[in-house]
Amino acid sequence: MINQPETRDLLTEARQVLLDSLAPELTGQRKYEALMVANAMGMAIRELEQRAQGQPEETDRTVTAFLAERSIEAKAGEDEAALAGAIRERRLDSTDPGLQSVLRTLTEARLRVNNPGFLKR
Amino acid sequence: MMSAFADIFSTFIAGKTGARSAEVIEFDKLSGGAIQDNFGLTLDLEGGSRTRRQEFVVRQDAPSGVSESLSRPEEFRVLQAAFKAGVTAPEPLWLCEDPEVSGRVFYVMTRAGGSASPRKLVKADFTDEQRRKIVRRLGAELARLHTIRPPQASLAFLVLPDQGDPALSRVALYRRYLNQIGEPHPVLEWALNWLEDNVPEPGPTVLCHCDFRTGNYMMDGDELTAVLDWEFAAWSDPCEDLGWLCCRSWRFGADDREVGGIGDKQDLLDGYREVSGTGLDPAAVSYWEVMALVRWAMIALQQSRRHMSGEQRSLELALTGRMVAQMELDLLNQIQELEDGQ
Repeated sequence: MINQPETRDLLTEARQVLLDSLAPELTGQRKYEALMVANAMGMAIRELEQRAQGQPEETDRTVTAFLAERSIEAKAGEDEAALAGAIRERRLDSTDPGLQSVLRTLTEARLRVNNPGFLKR
Repeated sequence: MMSAFADIFSTFIAGKTGARSAEVIEFDKLSGGAIQDNFGLTLDLEGGSRTRRQEFVVRQDAPSGVSESLSRPEEFRVLQAAFKAGVTAPEPLWLCEDPEVSGRVFYVMTRAGGSASPRKLVKADFTDEQRRKIVRRLGAELARLHTIRPPQASLAFLVLPDQGDPALSRVALYRRYLNQIGEPHPVLEWALNWLEDNVPEPGPTVLCHCDFRTGNYMMDGDELTAVLDWEFAAWSDPCEDLGWLCCRSWRFGADDREVGGIGDKQDLLDGYREVSGTGLDPAAVSYWEVMALVRWAMIALQQSRRHMSGEQRSLELALTGRMVAQMELDLLNQIQELEDGQ
């Protein structure tokens, strides 16, 4: 089904109206609320962008490969739970550079959606 | 409702001070807390123990008051102990446990001047000397608070840490929280292992504020006027309070100013030692900064759960859940830095 303009475009435009036209008219708690709405919309927009680029799948593949190399079993779609469990049960060497790398990959993937500015500090 | 509260509280205060009359000059709801309501109340009192214009804060449970933190009466007793120990805090005046009076439990304290706004404070144009003064004062306030040691009959409701080790006690608690939340957080698990493996020599068990950070103390210019928000007070290690104050999440963008976005850690430690007579180990403070990041992540996860479960639908709580990755990145960086420094 074709449904144009696409959702990402609609959300981007809606967020711009909120920030450029509505928020400047507001003060105090209302302004704070408007900025929270803009923040939430920004996350939704970035999540759609990341999905369009296949980023979530790529992150998942990194975790799957990491677990497979260390013979940690995980049910389909539950790689992150398996990783968390293996860390808690001390089945992974905490000084393993690959471990820190996979943790960083997961965290950075979330921040690219939630707060990309935080990655640039 | 507001004017009804103003009448109720002013009558209560007049009764306590023995005033012949109490005229309400100003009454407003102050910002802060989903857990409790704070009201500012300015009265002109005639006769009694406190006369003429008096400014008070009334703190009472919010209608939706669901919380694991201290109750109002407990908080009042903590505030009494802190005030008596010489901490610059609002003076706790009267506790009202009779629900017939206002419908809820409340207490009255003096109102401090200045502002607690973290953004304002962090952006303020202080000289280096002012920064040192403020940060040393923060250290001195904590040292005064930490003179309060168990047992204290009036604080019997505060539980002592398991096995006498506040750090391991926290690690076990946060693992239980993660189990309850049921969402996998590998970075937090990894950080908890590090915290378990690197416990510093425990300090004495003292009364900790446990939410002592920029935003929770009032400043008038460069003068600290009151330490606020005592509902998380607990028996713990002194370094827990210093670690929380220095935690990266509470620097409000001024990342290079380690102490709450205001100044340097050495000044905090110096101010602390000046009052306590004993120094604290900077490495232990760094350890508790890592603990602070994990704790803030736990609080954020719990807040987002309150939204997700439908218990309290709220955009603010929902967005807080999306902040956890920030604490996780800080944990990865900070633990790496500590490991590299060893």
